[in-house]
Amino acid sequence: MNVTNEDAVQSLAQVEEVMAKTRQSLVSTYAGPFLILWGFIWVVSYLGTHFFLMWVDWIWNISSGLGCIGTIFIFWRLFGRGSATRNPSDKGLVLRTILFWPLFFAYAFVWLSIVKPGNGVVLNAFLVTAIMFAYVVIGLWFGSWLMVVLGIVVTGFTLIGFHLIPAYYYCLWMAVTAGGGLLGTGLYMKLRWR
Amino acid sequence: MAELDNTIHQSVRLQIMSSLVALYAGEEIEFVYLKKLLNLTDGNLGAHLAKLEEAGYVKVKKTFVARKPRTFITATGKGRDAFEEHISALKQIIGAQQKTNLKGK
Repeated sequence: MNVTNEDAVQSLAQVEEVMAKTRQSLVSTYAGPFLILWGFIWVVSYLGTHFFLMWVDWIWNISSGLGCIGTIFIFWRLFGRGSATRNPSDKGLVLRTILFWPLFFAYAFVWLSIVKPGNGVVLNAFLVTAIMFAYVVIGLWFGSWLMVVLGIVVTGFTLIGFHLIPAYYYCLWMAVTAGGGLLGTGLYMKLRWR
Repeated sequence: MAELDNTIHQSVRLQIMSSLVALYAGEEIEFVYLKKLLNLTDGNLGAHLAKLEEAGYVKVKKTFVARKPRTFITATGKGRDAFEEHISALKQIIGAQQKTNLKGK
């Protein structure tokens, strides 16, 4: 077979492009809908908390409940109808991923019951950084560096908001950085990686 | 010296193998998903998969999920090895050309 230098360069570029596209598309398929859902919920809930602080419990209870229902629905759509990929040699992977989240939140609430945060900002910063830690773990588990970076960046923004931003503006800051970070990343995946 | 693989070198088959090798070993991708990912038609993807399957480079599994027929594709060990060798051969061609260019200077 006669392959010129240009052909070889072109073929290798094509290989790299398709491999990257495949990985990105799968990350977008599996993670994108969850990021959009929870990013939207965080943006709305933080803004709601900033402008209607007296309803803070209602806002977060209702939005979290809707988020859980949405999460179950997305899981059903992604895996119930048959997923884009499967690994017969590791059938427990999906089950382990599903089990990870309730176990994680169970532990988060155990830690909360021990630490007993003094106010809403401390409680929120604790939960957001804990959830971002879970993103980092999931990212490492599935080899998605974007999830790892997203988790670390949002954690950084949360720490800035917690330590440097006046408490009155904390929710506005978190709506833009944490909620906007998740929502923006999810939308970017959906628009650019499909 | 690595050798180029005639079966893999064809552009569409190179894309298919690149996509399959990007998955974890043993991981399978769904036919319709792969078709959309690579912007191919049913017939085009099917024909090239048949060639790759004939060479033993991919495994095509037809199955039913929630009573609907679904086809999953995976790269075999032989296919992954052949792909790696093909990539090495392409790199050697580029390396050889770079050496020639340096000698000429």
